[in-house]
Amino acid sequence: MALSIDVVQGDVHVTLVLSGDVDTKTAPDLLSQLTALELHALEQLRLNLAEVEFVSSAGLRAIVFAKQKMPHSSRLFLVSASPQIVDTITKTGLAQAVVIVDSEDEI
Amino acid sequence: MDLERIDNLPTETIQGFRVRPGKPLPFGVSSVPGGLNFSVYTSAGTSCTLVLYSRSEEKPLAEIKVPDYYRIGDVYSIVVYDLDYEDVEYGFRIDGPFDPEQGHRFNQDNILMDPYARCLSGRDVWGVEPDWSNPYQYRSRIAFDDFDWEGDSPLEINDADLVIYELHVRSFTKSETSDVKFKGTYAGITEKIPYLKSLGVNAVELMPIFEFDEFENSRIHPDTGERLYNYWGYSTVAFFAPKAGFAASGKFGMQVDEFKQLVKELHKAGIEVILDVVFNHTAEGNELGPSISFKGLDNKIYYMLTPEGYYFNFSGTGNTLNCNNPVVRNLVLDCLRYWSAEYHIDGFRFDLASILGRDPWGAPLSNPPLLESLAFDPILSSCKLIAEAWDAGGLYQVGTFPAFGRWSEWNGKYRDTLRRFLKGDEGQVGEMAQRVQGSPDLYQWNGRSPATSINFVTCHDGFTLADLVSYNEKHNEANGEYNRDGGDDNHSWNCGAEGWTEDEWIRSLRLKQSMNAIGILMTSRGTPMLLMGDEFGRSQHGNNNAYCIDSPISWVDWSLLDSNQALFAFTQKIIDFRHKHPCLRVNQFDHPGSKHLPSCSFHGTTPWQVNWSNDSRQLAWLMSCNMDDNQDQLDAVYVATNTAHYATWFDLPGLPEEYCWHLRFNTGDINNPAQNSPSEFQDSGILVGERSIVVFSASLRET
Repeated sequence: MALSIDVVQGDVHVTLVLSGDVDTKTAPDLLSQLTALELHALEQLRLNLAEVEFVSSAGLRAIVFAKQKMPHSSRLFLVSASPQIVDTITKTGLAQAVVIVDSEDEI
Repeated sequence: MDLERIDNLPTETIQGFRVRPGKPLPFGVSSVPGGLNFSVYTSAGTSCTLVLYSRSEEKPLAEIKVPDYYRIGDVYSIVVYDLDYEDVEYGFRIDGPFDPEQGHRFNQDNILMDPYARCLSGRDVWGVEPDWSNPYQYRSRIAFDDFDWEGDSPLEINDADLVIYELHVRSFTKSETSDVKFKGTYAGITEKIPYLKSLGVNAVELMPIFEFDEFENSRIHPDTGERLYNYWGYSTVAFFAPKAGFAASGKFGMQVDEFKQLVKELHKAGIEVILDVVFNHTAEGNELGPSISFKGLDNKIYYMLTPEGYYFNFSGTGNTLNCNNPVVRNLVLDCLRYWSAEYHIDGFRFDLASILGRDPWGAPLSNPPLLESLAFDPILSSCKLIAEAWDAGGLYQVGTFPAFGRWSEWNGKYRDTLRRFLKGDEGQVGEMAQRVQGSPDLYQWNGRSPATSINFVTCHDGFTLADLVSYNEKHNEANGEYNRDGGDDNHSWNCGAEGWTEDEWIRSLRLKQSMNAIGILMTSRGTPMLLMGDEFGRSQHGNNNAYCIDSPISWVDWSLLDSNQALFAFTQKIIDFRHKHPCLRVNQFDHPGSKHLPSCSFHGTTPWQVNWSNDSRQLAWLMSCNMDDNQDQLDAVYVATNTAHYATWFDLPGLPEEYCWHLRFNTGDINNPAQNSPSEFQDSGILVGERSIVVFSASLRET
């Protein structure tokens, strides 16, 4: 399933709205969208995963990569991730790099 | 100024891939700017082809024959650019002679796993039968180093302060009763960390987690039709890769992260991680076994071979890794360094370690270079090194294992003595006295310390504790070998009925015997080790060799935690007692003791007088030192054991004026074994019940 990524520029944050699967084939698209952002100066990044069923290890690594590029004080929110995605993030120890929220209203 | 490096550009193109000669070290695959460096060793191979796949694709993406001028010595290395790190899987074809008599088994048709592969795909989910027609079962993948350790490092707890808990990753939480989300996995253990912490153990020893094939020698039980597996995994496929089928995230290829997460969380809870490692043989079996990696890369180097080219079988499993060949020695060293540095592993327990001390022709070495290298390695300097100091070829080295001041040992003699003593065998008092003080008869003469001795009463191999007190004989029918497998020298006693019984008296005696075993274990010097579930009476229904059973026989039944709460509470309290009393953890045979008492003294029914005769069944010990935090304060523990079938009066040894005894444990009072009495013990002695132990500690009198 193809992946589409909409980039929404907020006041102090950027939101990437993903739709489709982030698998081995599409993860490079996510990575290139992320690297196109000014990550080193970005204080807040939101990834909206409401329309994503599956995130592969490559996709998760792209997320970790983004967080590592961002300032230490920054926050990376995963919004509306499915329980399966949250499970994978939790058991592989990536959860401490991100903040998991059900909706953007919680931020 | 942002300068681009100019020393890492491709020099040519092969089959559309930009490449350049690689670096021979490190072996395996490593990242270089813009590409991946592949390096593999073969001394007798005549050519090397790198086979690249896209993840999960059946057909190779490319087969790149490594130009001969890319070979330095016996190492082929190549950098390939523009590969998708996440997607690529790889293997090698090595050409060379097929001449078994000369030790060579090269076959270009085989695609071989990288012996340094750090992550594998292809067998990601436990128990899914593979497509046997697939010529390349274990595909090597790239592992990443981007795990966020949050400042974690190995804990470096003193050996003598450890309480080790041996567990099998799948068995620990596979049962529905485990109440965890990710059953039978690394993540499942992570969920159980609060339990381990509440029990009080500070190290887990994981049975093999290096990638193994659960289908190796798999068969169907002739009577029940159940599938039997290589369940324990004492047969390594890949020394650098965690078993994917043990990871809930294995199907996503994230076993590396999941395992690191387990280590990190255990460390946060103050619990070390020791790996049970199997270097004595591999999953490639003998001449009839599969060619997974070593056999096709350099058979003659990696295995011990007879003059006719057959495999020596000191491991009892088909082949024997040639560990004292310098190349193999480096592989072992690289492997342990990798797990220590990359996974923050705290220690290693070596299965059938005596094999590691044999020369390439099988003879025991007096000064084995591998064991010496491990003992003095700079990266492993804080790692625990624990030997199973025997092998299947008849070498038994408990007490004589070449230790180089570093190695400790599973003390099989402790296990056997404690078992015989518990069931009241004659002539055990003298040897038991040696065992509880850390086995100086085995370890003092060569300058080793009490913590050299890993004390245990049960381990994965043999009866569980509940079965040790419930069965006189093994009952291994479920293994499909007509009860012929497994040891017969169990030194077990069923307490009056074989197996499950409704008889309350027998059940009560079994409970008491279990407490006696754990009580003695936790009040002995040396490092105690518990088997998973023994703290609440886990049973394998009399199976003393469940190496092939993936069923509730092997899985921990957590409902027993409720039904055997008394045993759990006793275990928890006596572990806590051990942690609080430094005199039980003294790690010097010639320790001076405290101002008033020797470090370790033995007593009988009368203080300072032991009946050492053959029919004696009463032994008491008094251990003493100064308190860690107050050198003027005495720490003393007195343990009295009575393995006779009648109660016996023990007079208590005297204490300095300002101290008094407090009764802490009394298994004779089975409904209240953890007494932890707040008040001073008033009597001059105590009636120790039949087959019971009592434990006292000294405290300052309240003024």
